[in-house]
Amino acid sequence: MKQTVHVTRGARRQLRVNFWRTALGFLLTVICQASIILVVRADDPPTMTEAEANNFFTTRIEPILKNKCWECHGDDPANLGGGLALTSRADIAHGGDSGPAVDERQTDASILLRAINYDLYEMPPDGKLSKKAIADLTTWVKLGMPWPAENEKVIHAAERAGHAAVDWDAARRWWSFQPVAEVSVPEVNETTWPINEIDRFVLAGLEQRGLAPAPPASRETLIRRAYYDLIGLPPLPEQVSRFVDDPDPRAYEHLIDQLLDSPHYGEKWGRHWLDVVRYAESNSFERDGTKPFVWRYRDYVIRSFNEDKPYDQFLIEQLAGDELPEVTAETLIATGYYRLGQWDDEPADALQAKFDELDDIVATTSQAMMGLTVNCARCHDHKIDPISQQDYYALLAYFSNIRRFGVRDEASVRDASLVSWSQEAGTSVSWRQRRRELRDIEQRIAEIEELVKADFAPVEHEEFQYEFHRVPLIQKRSGTVISEEMADEYRQLVEDRQRLRNTQLTEQMTILCVKEAGPFAEPMHVRIRGNPHVLGAEVTPRWPSIFGGKELPVVQPAHGASTGRRLALAQWLTQPDHPLTSRVMVNRIWQHHFGRGLVRSANDFGLHGDVPTHPELLDWLATRFVQEGWRLKAMHRLMMLSQTYRMSSQWHEEYGRVDPNNNALWRFHLRRLSAEELRDSMLFVNGTLNLSKQFGPSVFVNLPQEVLQGQSRPGDGWGQSTPADAARRSIYIHVKRSLRVPLLEVFDGADTDTTCPVRFVTTLPTQALSLLNSEFSQEQARQFADLAAQRVPDDRGQRVAWILARVTQRQPTAAEIERGQTLLAGWIEHDGLAEQDAWQQFCLLALNLNEFIYLD
Amino acid sequence: MQRHNFCGRTRREFLWQAGAGFSGLALAGLLEDSFFQRQDTAADGVSPWRNPLAAKAPHYTPRAKAVIFLYMYGGPSQIDTFDYKPSMYGMDNKTIDVKTFGRAGHKNQGRIVEPRWQFKQYGECGKWVSDLFPHVGQCVDDICFVHSMTADSPIHGSAMMQMNSGRIVSGSPSLGSWVNYGLGSVNENMPGYVVMLHYTGGPINGPRNWSSGFMPASYQGVVVRSAGSPILDLQRPAETPDGAQRRLLDALRDYNQAHEALRPGNPDLAARIASYELAYKMQSTAPEVLDLRQETEETQRLYGLDDPQCAYFGRQCLMARRMVERGVRFVQIYSGGAHNDDNWDAHGDLVLNHTKHAGETDKPIAGLLRDLKQRGMLEDTLVVWGGEFGRQPTAEYAEGTGRDHNAYGFTMWLAGGGVRGGTSYGSTDELGAHAVENRLHVRRIHATILHLMGLDPNRLTFFFGGLDQKLVGPEGALPVLDLLA
Repeated sequence: MKQTVHVTRGARRQLRVNFWRTALGFLLTVICQASIILVVRADDPPTMTEAEANNFFTTRIEPILKNKCWECHGDDPANLGGGLALTSRADIAHGGDSGPAVDERQTDASILLRAINYDLYEMPPDGKLSKKAIADLTTWVKLGMPWPAENEKVIHAAERAGHAAVDWDAARRWWSFQPVAEVSVPEVNETTWPINEIDRFVLAGLEQRGLAPAPPASRETLIRRAYYDLIGLPPLPEQVSRFVDDPDPRAYEHLIDQLLDSPHYGEKWGRHWLDVVRYAESNSFERDGTKPFVWRYRDYVIRSFNEDKPYDQFLIEQLAGDELPEVTAETLIATGYYRLGQWDDEPADALQAKFDELDDIVATTSQAMMGLTVNCARCHDHKIDPISQQDYYALLAYFSNIRRFGVRDEASVRDASLVSWSQEAGTSVSWRQRRRELRDIEQRIAEIEELVKADFAPVEHEEFQYEFHRVPLIQKRSGTVISEEMADEYRQLVEDRQRLRNTQLTEQMTILCVKEAGPFAEPMHVRIRGNPHVLGAEVTPRWPSIFGGKELPVVQPAHGASTGRRLALAQWLTQPDHPLTSRVMVNRIWQHHFGRGLVRSANDFGLHGDVPTHPELLDWLATRFVQEGWRLKAMHRLMMLSQTYRMSSQWHEEYGRVDPNNNALWRFHLRRLSAEELRDSMLFVNGTLNLSKQFGPSVFVNLPQEVLQGQSRPGDGWGQSTPADAARRSIYIHVKRSLRVPLLEVFDGADTDTTCPVRFVTTLPTQALSLLNSEFSQEQARQFADLAAQRVPDDRGQRVAWILARVTQRQPTAAEIERGQTLLAGWIEHDGLAEQDAWQQFCLLALNLNEFIYLD
Repeated sequence: MQRHNFCGRTRREFLWQAGAGFSGLALAGLLEDSFFQRQDTAADGVSPWRNPLAAKAPHYTPRAKAVIFLYMYGGPSQIDTFDYKPSMYGMDNKTIDVKTFGRAGHKNQGRIVEPRWQFKQYGECGKWVSDLFPHVGQCVDDICFVHSMTADSPIHGSAMMQMNSGRIVSGSPSLGSWVNYGLGSVNENMPGYVVMLHYTGGPINGPRNWSSGFMPASYQGVVVRSAGSPILDLQRPAETPDGAQRRLLDALRDYNQAHEALRPGNPDLAARIASYELAYKMQSTAPEVLDLRQETEETQRLYGLDDPQCAYFGRQCLMARRMVERGVRFVQIYSGGAHNDDNWDAHGDLVLNHTKHAGETDKPIAGLLRDLKQRGMLEDTLVVWGGEFGRQPTAEYAEGTGRDHNAYGFTMWLAGGGVRGGTSYGSTDELGAHAVENRLHVRRIHATILHLMGLDPNRLTFFFGGLDQKLVGPEGALPVLDLLA
């Protein structure tokens, strides 16, 4: 008896399951079913009796599965490739990470058949099956996969090891997903030590462990620490001695305020932000082309820090500056954030490239702003954190309407990522007016400065070279050389000038920014196993469900050029009660003052990250940060005015045993200068650092020929700047992904391709070679020696002292001076060095001193 | 709650972060492995030295101690070198249906450019090798050819990244960095990972090809030059006499030690003092290592140093042997540099291009293999030959012999270091267009190289960005055991 049936999918599955399950057990009693022909497609009906089908399986199909598939899809149930087992019909129907392996409605579209035809997947990976084997498997699938029950080995999904789901209930209780707690400041036994709340949190912890804080750092140490921490440069020795001798009890407070007002503060702290957003100015890949006008984003960051822009606003501008009710040049430049990553202008697979770029944005945004590694859920649910693959694509959907950086050529980049901005259109105050205002202010400032210059001691002339030192120099003469009114006027003028400088003063400019494909986004789907070509369920933008997932009200901006999705994301992230945003940022501020964060894994507050050493303090700081209007400078003041910050780095044998990692903060920690601080300091101490020029297109420093030789076109994309430009601060050096400045690289500068939360600190002989032998070091030593000869023309001992003081910012001891003199004599008398060459050697030595490179 | 710690990983990222700005002493207390803990004595015999590149134990007994990767940049044509396709002769200019994907995009049809060289059989294994490589041909019994390579991209930029770092985007550590990280260097006077470039310049992507990506810069490749100062900043300036520099270093140590004495509990200070002594030692050791005058004339001839055409690559091969002999773990030599015909990227005149690059390398490569063998070094030195992809069997343009890129199938070969010589693995179709039998993705070759070095490709991890990163990617990859002796 033959029967042809057309059945619905569900019924057919039922039928088939019934059939094959029962057929072998009750073979005799189900005769009528024994010769059913399953027709999957009416136009292509394979026919076979059950006995034939079984025989077909055992002789033709099973050997293929066994030899070609089971090694990865069945042999070891704990270790299934793609989560797929090919050991039973149930498992094939259940499928793996990519969904059911066989589509019963449309067998041709089955993943299994596509894979063996090397369409979508390429299985088996080590070589296509023979044409005959492919034909047999196709027939078998179309037959409904006849499979004698005794040959089936069902590996039920639930039994699969290695796919254990995250324990969501436990994860929900993880500290960083809890609201920032209202904490009270703890009581302490020793009440004289604490100055502010931070100290009481720290001291309470110390007392609990039977530890006591280290004695206060010396004033020499403190001013050096404060200078480097806020502006990334050393003080001049004269400023140190003035601070040390200052009888004013608020001298330290004034120092902090002065440094926070310095225009160089943003150059130091902006760099920390550039690290986490993996700032670079070229695209990587073969051409590694320069990103046009990307430096405006760097300037935007520096200005934002200098202005003490509220951090929530800072995030909103970067994420959605183009979707705000009022778009300005500044907010648009901020969206250059999206243009900092790698861009393949010649991708082998355009869709793959698009999703790689989006992943780069998701990874950077989630780690930098949320302290979460959402990127780990690209191919499967996060293995550790409560973030599902759906969450990943839902977060990605906020960004998916962003146009790629370009398509191929420069014109396409212009089209997708640049706008020509007219200042008049953006603000009410015309740039001409402000430029006039600035000119007037500068003129008046110069007049006042001229009045006091005559009164300067020689060292004050040197201090005067650096703008941020000028106000104190003028104030010092308030009521003597100039009137008090004029001194006050001067201070006001300097503030006004800074405000104007922080504003863009260009009439027309081209801005690198984000652009979307239009007001409506294409639907977004989960990508199975992260493969952009394999679509899973549709998702809409929403924040990760651990935060209480719900759709956000997305409001299209009035200009109609984008979806408004990113603004919705930014608004969620900057809600005052967001559990991560404020914690993550105060932790970063702490990290850069104390050497590491209260949470050491600064980009990972998830379950894989570290728990805070001082959880209450972190929450107290986060609360305070939001209360203070998300302003960083308030936090700097708070942290730096604490006794905790003012501790010395003095070692304590016993405490070192009890708490070797100094988790309880019983001492301050020595730190090495960052790569940028090191280079800037070398130029600063020899008097060549060009501090007066801020902002603008990046500059090129001279690179040794052997470094350029590593490029496929030596020198390509690396220009030549004037000596004055090449002597600017390191933050203004062009960041080319395929060509790094050796000194910055060897001293652990941030990598350009992935977000860098904490820099490595390595100690290597190649660093020593660089500081001893490089053309750069030699040149800096030479300049240093020239300056020393100018300043201290006669006395050898005094010149040694001057050089040492210049790099250590303290007066050297008699023994140190003596050692220097002996050394010079040795070079001149024994090694036959000319006097000036010997001084150059001594300056080189000074630039290599541990005391120059490490901060107490 | 229970802290997750999957895969029993060493949480290196955490440790680095914990160490940022903090003393190594604190770190050492946290660590169970010898990575940071190793205490040595520096060159002055006094200062303790902790070298992050100190030698480390592999996962299991290695077959190879070092890798020399001869990188044929630009992509050599398989059917003109080692993948013999006899049926193609006589087919020149015939139009044929074949799926190709190169810089000119996807095509379904093309004009055959028949192999431009004759093949001969060599060795006991009878391997067919083209006339481009008469010297390498004589070494085939030591070589294991892999004809079934595939890569994800037929575009130089991304394909270079994949061959060197496993991913088509930059930011991940290169193969040599992984080896350096996994094994350290047994000679602290030499870098553990060395790269040598072509005289025309570096490859595209430049130093990203030997970058350590998200790992510390200490693991990146160091460019060694065969003329002038071999390593950047290695030589003290000509105008500084040795005695003067020694005097500087002695005084520097005195100053630094006085500084350190007041600051107990900060071992970074001592480490930095010691690093200067090591640097000083490197200055004299490295040039000695690279001084080829110490080699006999016979050896120099073996590498083709007397032949201007191949002397440049020959010097690099000979330097590679000398470095490997002294404990350098990973040496990569680029055949070809810059763009177009300066490397194997034969889009225009195939004969001109391949004649030039094979001519520059054939004798030196054979010399290297023979020299390693006669010194008993071949058995634990792995030599790898290949480019980022191969080339198509058909012409790129209507005229001429230029071939476009091909990542669907190409040839690499391995020799020494525990591989099975005199064998060929996998195959392409009759045109050499697609790998068909025993296809191997680049990841599998990476896995095999790590395996031979005693490292488990699926256990060699570096925690970064929330993941235990691996050279072979999150899915992992198995070494190809069929290639091993």
